[in-house]
Amino acid sequence: MVACAGCSDGKQKQTHSHPASPSLPGLYSVGARIFGLPEGPVRLAAPPVTPLAGWLTPAAVPSADGRYLAYNSWRELRHDDPKLSWPDQGIKSGDALATPSIRVYDSRSGNDDVLAEGAFSLAWRADGALAYFKGAERDYRAGVSYVGDVVVRPSLEGAPEAWSSERGRYIVVGWAGTRLVAYVEHEGEALDVVVFDGPGRMRVLAASSALVAISPNGTQVFVEQGPAQGRPTVRVLELATGRETAALDLTRVDAAVGWVGYAGDWRADRVVASSASGLALFRVAPGKISLQKAVRVAASGVAEPRFVDSSGLRVKAWTSVHRGGVLLDCDVAVGACDRTMPLPEARGIHGFPTWRRPLYNPSRPLGTS
Amino acid sequence: MRRAIVVFAAATALLACGSAAAAEGWWTFDRNTNLNSTLTWKWTYPPSPAQYSHNWRAGSGSSTDECRRGEGWLPAGWYAQWGHWNHYSGSAIRGRVWWLQDKYCYDGVTRRVELFIHSEETTDNGQACTSAWDDPFCWERDADYYSLGCIKLARPSPVANFPSDLGSAHSHYHAYGGSSQHGDLPNDAYELYVFS
Repeated sequence: MVACAGCSDGKQKQTHSHPASPSLPGLYSVGARIFGLPEGPVRLAAPPVTPLAGWLTPAAVPSADGRYLAYNSWRELRHDDPKLSWPDQGIKSGDALATPSIRVYDSRSGNDDVLAEGAFSLAWRADGALAYFKGAERDYRAGVSYVGDVVVRPSLEGAPEAWSSERGRYIVVGWAGTRLVAYVEHEGEALDVVVFDGPGRMRVLAASSALVAISPNGTQVFVEQGPAQGRPTVRVLELATGRETAALDLTRVDAAVGWVGYAGDWRADRVVASSASGLALFRVAPGKISLQKAVRVAASGVAEPRFVDSSGLRVKAWTSVHRGGVLLDCDVAVGACDRTMPLPEARGIHGFPTWRRPLYNPSRPLGTS
Repeated sequence: MRRAIVVFAAATALLACGSAAAAEGWWTFDRNTNLNSTLTWKWTYPPSPAQYSHNWRAGSGSSTDECRRGEGWLPAGWYAQWGHWNHYSGSAIRGRVWWLQDKYCYDGVTRRVELFIHSEETTDNGQACTSAWDDPFCWERDADYYSLGCIKLARPSPVANFPSDLGSAHSHYHAYGGSSQHGDLPNDAYELYVFS
């Protein structure tokens, strides 16, 4: 079962890594190795990574029943050295560079199979429906925008159906009830949060914004706008109508917040998000968002903060350091985070650092969260 | 911040007399802060190794973590330039722009895409300023140097007195060793280097 073993265990904490028994709460990856499964660690066929989405969407998503783990993988067709330009590496316009794929690990059978090639970013609904972005072409190519469609399968075995009415650069994030929340990406990595009410029924929910979290009952979203789009702001919007029910101008709260980043979490009336200085915790009430606490974290940037349990007092996240991703285990009451680097010897492809990321399902409601 | 660096005393004469077609140019970007970094156009007159340059204040990102898509500043390394338009008409970026190749950030996994050098102006190189706090195609204030990852240059507008840095960069690019061509320019020889 791919459930969050230890998700509610607030006692497990370590500040030093141990390759044999990392004991962080919940599900997380170190390269291709997955920890937090009831049956113990497993090694996937490929590391869960999302090069074309960063952490706008999870690297891997457990199904609501815990049996499966769907994940993004990336097969390089030729090495691309970030220090060099494409022409200096002999890469020409149109050259195939990599193939993104979505794979599914079945904890019952141990099978690890490709679900879709030329696809990335997925959302898994409580009833098993799976949505993802499917590229018009299989391969990501130099100098060619990777456009495609949002498709939905009613189940793993079901036939995919296009929900987007035109090709674009979509990134799928999560289900909010029967509605699908995704991004449309424009020039300069500008993002619109969009919602699909069904096949061919897409509307812009929040232009020039990014998604922090979907409400526990799946009827609202918490979105943010950074300083590149005006005053840094967070808002709560109704999914069904797009109506704004609450907003908070971040220039009028603790200056430590600065701005708020995407990919946070919403439990009960609390929302956690990354911020300019670490973490920002908000309380959402009818018609009002208030800053509960700003937690300063000495890190280059916090990513994907998640509540560990319903108390809202413990948050896990990750950040990057020179040697790779480091997991953070934060005590909100104390206002401090422990760093943990399980498997410190792990190396990524081509000697790059290894990602260590929490894995989660941001869709709501899930019935298990 | 705007200043011309002249390597040799004879530079002025060289600039006046030299053939623009004979020059070879490239961009560099020195990341300092999100709001105040330096974009430089450098050029030479081969076979002379002497370098000439002009630079401008430029912004990039709203975070200094280059791996944060849609937030972090432009990742370090060499970039190919894939196109240049005077009247680009995108949904988020318009006017005079240079399009850059995609790039892995330092983690070797996350790719930054849809990267440009641009300002906030309309397709026709004008300004669309309303009463809103931040119009996307109007340069109103210092905060307009923030971007989602691209390099941004200032320009004057009816509501703010910023220097014509985009215009200056555009002129230098074309006059001193940049391509005379416009449009989609795959495999273009003109490059950008972003310092670590």
